[in-house]
Amino acid sequence: MPREIAIWGVLVPGLLPVFLGSLLLMVLVDLLIGRYGLHRYVWHPPLFRLALFACLFGAAALLLLH
Amino acid sequence: MPALSMKAARRWPGLAEVLAGEGRAWLFVAKTLLALYLAAWLAMWLRLEQPATAMITVGIVMHPHSGMVLAKSFYRALGTLCGSAFGLALMCVFPQQRELFLLSLSVWVALCAGGATLYRNFMSYGFVLAGYTAAIVALPAINDPLGVFDSALMRVCEVMLGLVVAGVVSDVLFPERLRPLLRQRAREHFAHFIDFVRGSTGGSIPRAEMEQAHLRFVRAAVELENLRASVIFEDPEVRARSTRMRLLNQHNMAAATSFQSLHHTINRLQREGRTAEVDALIALYRPLGAALATAPGDLHEPAVLAPRLRACARQLPAREAELRAGLAPGRAQLAFDTGATLLRRFLDELCAYVEVELALRGRVQRGGVERVHFRRGNDATGAAVAVLRTFLTMTVLSAFWIASGWPFGASAMLLATIFSGLLAAAPNPLTSAFVTLLGFAGGILAALHVAYGLLPGSSGFVMLVAASLPFLAIGPWLNAHAEFGGMGGGFSIGIVYILALKDPMVYDLAHALNDAIAQLAGVALAAASFVFVPRVTGSGWQRRRQVRRLRGQVVLAATAPLQGLPWRFESVSRDLFHQVIVHTRPGSRRSRELLAWALAVQESGRALIELRQQLRASTASPEVRAAVDRAVQAVAQLYHRPDAGRRQQAEDAVRAAIDACAGTPTLRPRLYQLLGALRDDESPLAAWTSAGEPADAP
Repeated sequence: MPREIAIWGVLVPGLLPVFLGSLLLMVLVDLLIGRYGLHRYVWHPPLFRLALFACLFGAAALLLLH
Repeated sequence: MPALSMKAARRWPGLAEVLAGEGRAWLFVAKTLLALYLAAWLAMWLRLEQPATAMITVGIVMHPHSGMVLAKSFYRALGTLCGSAFGLALMCVFPQQRELFLLSLSVWVALCAGGATLYRNFMSYGFVLAGYTAAIVALPAINDPLGVFDSALMRVCEVMLGLVVAGVVSDVLFPERLRPLLRQRAREHFAHFIDFVRGSTGGSIPRAEMEQAHLRFVRAAVELENLRASVIFEDPEVRARSTRMRLLNQHNMAAATSFQSLHHTINRLQREGRTAEVDALIALYRPLGAALATAPGDLHEPAVLAPRLRACARQLPAREAELRAGLAPGRAQLAFDTGATLLRRFLDELCAYVEVELALRGRVQRGGVERVHFRRGNDATGAAVAVLRTFLTMTVLSAFWIASGWPFGASAMLLATIFSGLLAAAPNPLTSAFVTLLGFAGGILAALHVAYGLLPGSSGFVMLVAASLPFLAIGPWLNAHAEFGGMGGGFSIGIVYILALKDPMVYDLAHALNDAIAQLAGVALAAASFVFVPRVTGSGWQRRRQVRRLRGQVVLAATAPLQGLPWRFESVSRDLFHQVIVHTRPGSRRSRELLAWALAVQESGRALIELRQQLRASTASPEVRAAVDRAVQAVAQLYHRPDAGRRQQAEDAVRAAIDACAGTPTLRPRLYQLLGALRDDESPLAAWTSAGEPADAP
């Protein structure tokens, strides 16, 4: 994937679509977690969500842009 | 420390409470400061133009409850994107016509302020922000139209950075959650409702007690909806339950209305001295009380209540037939049928309510449920007044700016924009405007002291923190104490704006002072506009209009398309009622009058909807349909403009419809209930009832 993409002639970093994609993925994961009540097995749910998002975003960015 | 406070608690019970409250306030102060400095440091590290914008964002968004912060941030992000897009578009359309540019900007800001008053949750924040961002994107670039795109990009980056930092800090570090509160309120409300139903199976409830119960249930319904709308941002589990929670609220409101109608019917029969029918209805009703009277530990346990209620509902038709046979045919059986129909409806809704509650308490949410919405009774006229006021403020400022060639006009405009939006949504704008202005002035003084007294001798970020921390802490501390109102908000915005932290720092006292004066003028003008165009919420004019709209819900029930109408009717009528009742003194004449109307509207509106639904499903002849339609329209006319003549017409039309419906047993009980509601001598319609007529000859 290119480092920078042109949207209507405006250059944006390639990380931006990756970030938005991971946000979307995170929403789906949250949906599953909420439906099955999986947060009961986690000590600090917001920290877990933040960490999970960092993992998702980091992995996606490394895989796609490295 | 715990041992000390425990000892203190034993000696002075009030002290522990104060300490706990102060602890929470200081935790909030610490979190806000951390978020502020983190945002400033990141903005400097990322080489953004104005770290102050990110800091102001943090200052506006931070709230002691993390669900609130996330909800605010979400709407704020939406508002920021809309506002910056509009600011850019405006700059492209009018790069060289300042009059048209400022006029369009005023219209946009005014529309956003109006939108902010339309909604009473955090969506109003999104509107404030959409207006404010358009202004901060477009105004600083007014002398340099070519740079507007870069400026817009910078502002959006700064605002988004502030949002992310505020969200992460408040959600991850010692979060104070709303979810336990929501759960506690929901359970309390469930228990109250079940207790109230159980406690009233003995027969009649006095009207005053019913009014108080209605008030309590409406408050709970609106409060639960408000909490739900914030908590879904905080907790994925609540989000997964969101649709079901809405359905629960709707079932509860529907059940409450049916329950009231049933009791009004029994009360009316009792007042007319028709003991045979009353006894039969109470006998029919008694098994419900038995089904709810479980073992003391399970009184509010939906898993126990649901099967018992279903069993009760299954036995109801047989019992009804048995009791009906014991009554004289004709009007006694008709009255009994009316009560039995209501009881059946109530029992169905109660079963649905308890079953949804049971599903909500489960760990895993399975399957989808019907999507329902809590509709709000928004007040378009109030919003129009806010639009007018903000438009006037902005146009006056623009005209002054153009006429005087004031170099700092942009600052004044910007601050007027922010505070027009924020104050328009405040409960008591004149007082909060004054308090905010005071806070703002304090913030400016503090900022001048820090920037020109303390900072010049320091170097590095640590020294910056050390110099500004004690002053920056004042804003959040004021915010954490509700008694200071908007002072904290004004202080925070004032200090951060004038401090204008940058890397490298720019020192220009003359510029700062000019800026401060312009900003103060902007805030003062936004506040002064409330004197010229006062806020309508809570005024007598608004109250009378809202009551008229409440009655108009009956007209809506009679005329609107039936699809989804029951849900809409139940939620809008309650939301309207709730909006008016918060501005009346409990127990005053106005409050009682309003309650009486609310009960009458609930009963008649719901009866009309049921009647129309039955009519659509039935195979009645065209003459019957015409008669029922006339009755429905006559009742709608009466509620539209109540007077003695229309009341009489409505009553005649309903009686004629009852006669016409002799062959359709599904319609008659509903019409009879409507007749009862029209003739109820405790409802506000009683003022127009002509005495000395046969009360119940069908």
